[in-house]
Amino acid sequence: MNLLDAVLWLPLAGFVLLLLIPRERVRAIRQFALGITTATFLLSLALLVGFDRTSAAFQYETNLPWISSPEIRYHIGIDGISLWLVLLTTLLSPIGVLISWQHIDRRVKEFFALFLAMEFGLIGVFVALDLFLFYVFWEVSLVPMYFLIGVWGHERRIYAAVKFFIYTMTGSVLMLAGIIYLYIRAGTFDYPALIEMMMNGSLMLDRMEQNLLFAGFFAAFAIKVPLFPLHTWLPDAHVEAPTAGSVMLASVMLKMGCYGLLRFCLPMFPAAARGAAPWIVMLAIAGILYGALVAMVQPNMKKLVAYTSVSHLGFVVLGLFTFTELGTNGAVYQMLNHGISTGALFALVGFLYERRHSLEIEDYGGVATPAPVLATMFLITSLASMGLPVLNNFVGEYLVLQGAAQVNFRWAVFAAIGVILAACYMLWMYQRVFYGEARKDFSMRDANLREWAVMSPLIILMVWMGTYTQTFLPPITASSAAILEQTKVNVEFHVERQMPRQELANAR
Amino acid sequence: MPANFVPPSGVEYIRVLPEIILAAVATLIMVLEPLTPAPRKRALGYLALAGFAGALAGAAAAGWRTGPAFSGMLEVDGFATFFRLLVILAGLLVTLVSFPYLRREEAESGEYYALLLYSVAGQTIMVSAADLIVLFIGLEISSIASYVLAGYMRREKLANEAAAKYFLLGSFATAFLLYGIALIYGATGTTRLNGIAQVLSDPRMAPAGILTGTAVALMLVGFAFKISAAPFQVWAPDVYQGAPSPVAAFLAAGPKAAAFAVLLRVFMTAFAPLTGRWLAIMWSLSLLTMIVGNFAALLQTNIKRLLAYSSIAHAGYVLVAVTAHSEEGVQAAMFYLTVYVFMNIGAFAVVAYFSRKGERYVEIEDLAGLGVRQPVLAALFAVILLSLIGVPPTAGFLGKFYIFQAAVKADLLWLTVLGLLNSAVAAYYYLRLIVIMYMKEPGDSLLELPGMAVSTRAALWTSAAAVVVLGLFPALIR
Amino acid sequence: MNPMWIDTLFFYFFALLVLGGGVATITCKSAVHSAISLIVSMVGVAGLFLLQHAEFLFAVQIVLYIGGVMVLFLFVIMLVNLDESMQMRQFNRQWLLAVAAVIAAGVQAVWLLSKPADLPAAVPQVPGGPGNVQRVADVLFSQYLLPFEIASVLLLAAVIGSVVMAKKRL
Repeated sequence: MNLLDAVLWLPLAGFVLLLLIPRERVRAIRQFALGITTATFLLSLALLVGFDRTSAAFQYETNLPWISSPEIRYHIGIDGISLWLVLLTTLLSPIGVLISWQHIDRRVKEFFALFLAMEFGLIGVFVALDLFLFYVFWEVSLVPMYFLIGVWGHERRIYAAVKFFIYTMTGSVLMLAGIIYLYIRAGTFDYPALIEMMMNGSLMLDRMEQNLLFAGFFAAFAIKVPLFPLHTWLPDAHVEAPTAGSVMLASVMLKMGCYGLLRFCLPMFPAAARGAAPWIVMLAIAGILYGALVAMVQPNMKKLVAYTSVSHLGFVVLGLFTFTELGTNGAVYQMLNHGISTGALFALVGFLYERRHSLEIEDYGGVATPAPVLATMFLITSLASMGLPVLNNFVGEYLVLQGAAQVNFRWAVFAAIGVILAACYMLWMYQRVFYGEARKDFSMRDANLREWAVMSPLIILMVWMGTYTQTFLPPITASSAAILEQTKVNVEFHVERQMPRQELANAR
Repeated sequence: MPANFVPPSGVEYIRVLPEIILAAVATLIMVLEPLTPAPRKRALGYLALAGFAGALAGAAAAGWRTGPAFSGMLEVDGFATFFRLLVILAGLLVTLVSFPYLRREEAESGEYYALLLYSVAGQTIMVSAADLIVLFIGLEISSIASYVLAGYMRREKLANEAAAKYFLLGSFATAFLLYGIALIYGATGTTRLNGIAQVLSDPRMAPAGILTGTAVALMLVGFAFKISAAPFQVWAPDVYQGAPSPVAAFLAAGPKAAAFAVLLRVFMTAFAPLTGRWLAIMWSLSLLTMIVGNFAALLQTNIKRLLAYSSIAHAGYVLVAVTAHSEEGVQAAMFYLTVYVFMNIGAFAVVAYFSRKGERYVEIEDLAGLGVRQPVLAALFAVILLSLIGVPPTAGFLGKFYIFQAAVKADLLWLTVLGLLNSAVAAYYYLRLIVIMYMKEPGDSLLELPGMAVSTRAALWTSAAAVVVLGLFPALIR
Repeated sequence: MNPMWIDTLFFYFFALLVLGGGVATITCKSAVHSAISLIVSMVGVAGLFLLQHAEFLFAVQIVLYIGGVMVLFLFVIMLVNLDESMQMRQFNRQWLLAVAAVIAAGVQAVWLLSKPADLPAAVPQVPGGPGNVQRVADVLFSQYLLPFEIASVLLLAAVIGSVVMAKKRL
């Protein structure tokens, strides 16, 4: 039992204890949920203290037998990548509770119970080092989200919830087939052991096997990311979910897919991953451009933000499949950035909704006059989201683009168009909502204390991550370098350097 | 008396202890039935409950003294003991669900409990049979009692239809089975399972392929009917819909598990030498069953019919384990059937409780708002439904995992992928129940919803707890 | 005269009774006629038993099936009002399917019989020894003791089932 176990199990303990609180005591329930999530966050901050920032090894490991036949172990641990993802989850959980403070006014007990259960599942996904355990957490996190959308969502919530569940389930059963196959071949679910066996050659998957396994895992992760054209569940789920649901979905749940790609798809099936990389990159770029273009014409704020997710996560996938250190670092950094800034955007849209009860852009206008603080918060977040230097997204996008340029310069060019488009849609929305004639037909109060509490940590992080990357990057670099090392095992590949046109001509 | 006759020894009687207890208690109930005044019929139910409990102990005692009994007609081994305990437990849980149901429908009688006990006795005989004759008689005891139970509510039109359909098609199926048994006896000269295997695997004695092939096919038809595998599944939805809910729970639990046990035993021992010939049939049978069950379930509006199709689909998953024809496959099937018994009885317990007198509320839409009015009950039901979908950490997931693990090990990759995709399809119709329970506003169907009776509550809690506990600690029964 | 020849003649005679009776049972419109046709069919089966030197089974067939079961059948038929069903159309109208099934089964049987080597050898007759009834009893009460006993459970369950179905009060 170490610190990481405590971080993982505290939300579940909270879930069980919360069930014991009588449902009428709404206030107590809210306070309890906030207490648990905050305590979890503080505990997880303590993880930083003992963390060796230069090592790529898994730390805070716990490895206990769970089921004997087949050999399934409760094996958890974190490296430099999952550390930040765990922290992202634990940070956004109390924020999610605060966002839902007044927004959720019916069946409060169920909401916060499910919220805690979801936090448990999400943390579990990022710390599991046993494939079976990973799958268990993967599904465990799915169920509460399904309820959050379906019970507390907007009008078309049921359609969105079921679509979300079925999409994810379809992908994950394919992954399950892959996991089972891998177990039969290797005799273990243990992730470090599997990687070890692949590194030292005692487990050799031929190309056919790799392709099929890669396809199985990739299906699950690509749906979750979501990679164009598998993204269609995302706008529905985001728009219909309650604000806290959208925040958790965008900030953390989508990272599960990216994390899975990085943790499992790349190092375990390197040959297949490298073989498929050009096609996947194509899809990623298509997603970047498509998401941005569709976002531009959305009349609904939430839908707009949802499509920006498709675009931003395209960057992550692009970065991962460049197989360069810069690209991978950038992808991980972008995962965190997207978690912070898109989470903040959804929260802000939620605040607007609480005031006006509308998500349509045309219902707003001139909000900056009565609510200058809110407008400032929104502006900073928008600027962060579109990748302005000094703010966080810039760093990630820059790294990804540079990584992409190392492999194929055209990739970087196309992807960069997405950055430009991001500026267009964000600023245009900002202009329509906050400037112009102030609408008189509703009262617009400025940010209250609770909203301050939600936004200030996020905004601080946006600036911090944009200016002082040294806090965050070294552990990421150590771990992603190790993963990249693993992707070179048993792979016959040659990096085709794109010859610049001039050289080509000279050669002739 | 023939010179070589040895009277059965004492230990052999211990090995049939559960059957003795079940049959004796059933007969006792019938003796007491006319002496019991109508308002006190419940006492006979308690007696049945005690009978099941005693039979559980008996089965445990028999399992402790494993070995053959009655000139090798029965083989009480670990496999038999496992299934004996399972079907008796199913009977016990169904009895618990039946108490308030029968009282509500004003249909309490000793016959109901006696038939339940007889049916379970038939199943315990089936699962421990080492001879096709005993197997057949056990199957018939189980079937005849269940035909009557299906039509127990004689005044209901649907119940009549259910019983008639079940009886006619069931008799037809057992005729197929009997025909197959006759042919296999003709071909091999024995009805002993291991004797058949011996003859079939001996190249000098191996009889004509066409004869044994026909026999295997005919017996497979008989078994496929009993486990409601497609294309022999048409009876199941009508029967489950027409039968009283506790009986529907019973049909999908005990007889089905027992039939699977018999299928496994016959095909893994007697017909093991012919594996190459029935494997392809089993492969397509399982795929077809999964597809028919899951896709038909998508269209249902009646909960009982939906559960019927779901039970067909689950039979398909277990058939995947049979197709794997390995030690792992058998174990996976055993685990899955156990889990399924709990999930199924739990689900039908909710239906039995919720439907109200005359089973008026059995449409899916009627569940609307149950999550608000009865949060605990709805949560238990939701756990069971999630387990039916196969979401970890419930036992339903682990069961599927074991099955498909065995399948992958047996190189059934495509069957695994198609089966898993099927379970994603299945998610849709189970989710619909959850959606309506939790996400729809309560309607008229929730007016005058009485509290749940203690015994139903016990059955539901047991099922839900078993589903969770087995999901976390499968080693308890493996 | 060759006794084998007579045996063969009798076999075909009884087989004709069995099949003819069976066909008549399912084609007759009147339930009484059907029942009587069934009796004819069962007499044929009894005759076949006799040809196999299974005297005990022959007697059982005559006494139980023709004597007991069929009389009960006729009783029930007399008790139930059948005029209505006479008016109704029979619902066994899938002639084509039935003919196809019968032809398929026939082809199968012919094929099976055309390869006599494949059939298992006939069980040799035990010369002398105890009589037929005693031999049946020996096996029934030793080796087949359990099936014999549990068959009574089966019958009991069936009896109770019919009581449930017939009971006035429920």
